[in-house]
Amino acid sequence: METLLQARDLSYSAGGKLILRGASFKAKRGEFIALLGVNGAGKSTLLDILAGLRAPTSGDVLLKGKPLADVQACERARWVCHLPQGVRGELPFTVEQIVLMGRYPHADRWMESEQDRAAVTAALERTHCLEFRHRRFSTLSGGERQRVLLAACLAQNAEILLMDEPSTYLDLRHQMHCFELLRSEASCGTVCIAVTHDLNLALTYCSRILVLQGGIVRHDMPVEEAWRHKSWFLEFSERLQVEHSWNGKAWIAYR
Amino acid sequence: MDSLPVISFREKLWLIASGAAVVAAVVLLPWIGTAPLTPERVLARQSPDYPIFVELRLSRTLLGLLVGSSLSLAGALFQAMLRESMATPYTLGISSAASLGAILTIIAGLPSILGLPAVWLGALAGAGSSVAIVAGASARQGQLSSFRLLLTGISLNGICSALILMIHSLAREHRSISILQWLLGNVDSVRYSALGAFAMVALVVFVIVVSRARQWNLLMVGESWAATRGVNPGRLMRIGFFCGSALTATAIALSGPIGFVGLIVPHIVRSRISPDYRILMPCSFLLGGVLLATADAVGRTVVAPAELPAGAVMALIGGPYLIWLVRRKF
Repeated sequence: METLLQARDLSYSAGGKLILRGASFKAKRGEFIALLGVNGAGKSTLLDILAGLRAPTSGDVLLKGKPLADVQACERARWVCHLPQGVRGELPFTVEQIVLMGRYPHADRWMESEQDRAAVTAALERTHCLEFRHRRFSTLSGGERQRVLLAACLAQNAEILLMDEPSTYLDLRHQMHCFELLRSEASCGTVCIAVTHDLNLALTYCSRILVLQGGIVRHDMPVEEAWRHKSWFLEFSERLQVEHSWNGKAWIAYR
Repeated sequence: MDSLPVISFREKLWLIASGAAVVAAVVLLPWIGTAPLTPERVLARQSPDYPIFVELRLSRTLLGLLVGSSLSLAGALFQAMLRESMATPYTLGISSAASLGAILTIIAGLPSILGLPAVWLGALAGAGSSVAIVAGASARQGQLSSFRLLLTGISLNGICSALILMIHSLAREHRSISILQWLLGNVDSVRYSALGAFAMVALVVFVIVVSRARQWNLLMVGESWAATRGVNPGRLMRIGFFCGSALTATAIALSGPIGFVGLIVPHIVRSRISPDYRILMPCSFLLGGVLLATADAVGRTVVAPAELPAGAVMALIGGPYLIWLVRRKF
């Protein structure tokens, strides 16, 4: 499979603190990667660097083998899409206006095409937002807003999806639906990297896990292997352990 | 599944209605004033009706339209750039610096420089200096950020306001009255050459900013949001800052610091017509002009034969609106 995204020895410091110190990995087409780590491990910073929102102190990012810094903003937005942890809630726009913004890199300067509108409607439908598409974003609940932002990302139709805690605020049904959507995006040939604190969601839906610790990628393994090794999840808490449900399915529980 | 209208029929109607309101203002407002004018005498070019209509009333109406349009558009622009619904064209210190420049020329007793009113040039010089100071102090690695712009602008506002108060308190009586009159902001008849130059600036800036309407929508959500959708936010901020400053500086130079129009018009358009900058900007531009020209017409008739400055009328309309807004939204 083609490598779409490569992080090479990324370091980043802010306020005198070294947040990343030589993080490296490759992501291939079709992979759904869970980016894990405790608070302050540098997950969001890494995602921001991959999205081009921050410049690394050293190291570089390659998009399809091309340095990220050499890719024009609009072209980059057609390749990479970034879901932030949140946006300010008091936005005056309607749901469909927010989702239409995802089409900016594809549309011409002023107006969206029929194709753009179809992509927006499909994204609204997939994220179960179609019924409230005319409502103002500011009137939505936290979970509904999160689904709208996810819809804007899907409408962007990028090949690399960088999702910073996509299941935040979502109820259980929509958490699973969100990860199912991302898995289906990956199965269509995109790369999806999702920051999450929910290890069970990560191990259920993702194909690979990356664990950041101390500013480097401490663990990088396929999910099948992750179930067998305890070492990585004990870094989150010593109270975690693998349990098996009545049907034999494994899950991570805490004592 | 019904299709998504990008610009609805209702929004298109509002655009047409806003354009029609401008035409109505140009046709009707010059007839309003202390001295009654008859259409027959104006059309026959008979004195004094014709000179009053063309040289005083029409040029004043056009100036009101241009100043109101420019301040409304600048208000909408700064509200997107700063993501702050209470931002006005004056938030970044341009108004105070322009006022300081104008007041210095009043204190110096300069009537004109190079054939142009010295107050205009003083205001433009003040505004230009403020743009350089705010841009220079808030830029980091060539990039402007809304947070740094806001803090620098507010600081400059405070410094210039303090200097204005100081100069005003030390000025002699007749100069003090001139300063006060200028600070109230007024729409007065000006030469058509000055109106033409102002209209050129306003139209060029209008085209530049409205052609980027979708980028302002993205910036309104956030700089990171805009950046990951293909916009270069640093470049866009620079364009917005210089365009907004040019609009504000020329408007203030010709009319003094008229408040509220840059705040209330974009607010009304955003909440009543559309938050989409493709609609919001043209409608704010058109309706802002109509509002200020109408306020000026009210000001010259409500206490006739005396006149209320348009700035005072706008404050009397804008103040209660702002209080209502605060009660409703916060």
